[in-house]
Amino acid sequence: MELGGNGWIVAVNLIIWTGLFLYLLRLGKRLRQSEASLEKEP
Amino acid sequence: MKNALAWLLWIWLSVVIVGAFKYAPLAKGFIGESSRILFFHVPMSWVSFVAFIAAGVWSLMFLFGGRKPKHDRAAAVAVQLGLVFGVLATVTGSLWARIMWGAYWNWDPRQTSIVVALLFYGAYLALRSSLEDADSRARLSAAYAVLGLAVAPFLFFIMPRIMFSLHPQSVINAQGKIEVESRMVQVLLAGSAGFTALFFWLHNLQCRIESLSERKSALRDRG
Repeated sequence: MELGGNGWIVAVNLIIWTGLFLYLLRLGKRLRQSEASLEKEP
Repeated sequence: MKNALAWLLWIWLSVVIVGAFKYAPLAKGFIGESSRILFFHVPMSWVSFVAFIAAGVWSLMFLFGGRKPKHDRAAAVAVQLGLVFGVLATVTGSLWARIMWGAYWNWDPRQTSIVVALLFYGAYLALRSSLEDADSRARLSAAYAVLGLAVAPFLFFIMPRIMFSLHPQSVINAQGKIEVESRMVQVLLAGSAGFTALFFWLHNLQCRIESLSERKSALRDRG
């Protein structure tokens, strides 16, 4: 399949955006865990 | 942010990326494909403005809403993120200027005004880091950010309009009309909305990180 000049730019942009998105999701999950463990502290 | 909303944002901004390159037409009078960078440059600049205004509003809430640390933290994080988006807007604008005007930097009123805005909010962070006492830091930086409620609209919207500029007309021009091809407007508005949502997500995460860090150091000091 021919991607073309713009096709490659779209693909790279989507990969970068997906990577950032997954990182932020993971960060949110880790934050929730840390907040929960802090709540349990006496 | 709830996971469903986050995934919605992923779809939204993915569609914006594809739309910027495959759906929106090229703008008339622009060299080659250079107009496509505007689908990222305009939202970055918009989000930077939103962040600076949000910082001012959170500062007002701090000053007149019981001096809660969470409002001070929210204002500081908004300025940090506004600077990041402002730098991205400046870089994308400079890349476009190189293609259209032949130089990365031309001291055009738009370029000058965003640099002044970045310096103004850079000074906000310098002010914060120069004060050790937490109460004075919060109070003085809140007053400074409230001043920004007048400075940011002037630098983003008024100054570039009252001076001669090579910069293309805004999406909504000085006469209050939209004279941009409708598919371009759709992508620009969708991009601005998506990046604004991304800003609030990043803001929420950073505020929670700082809050956790403060609570943990308070626990360590007690223990």
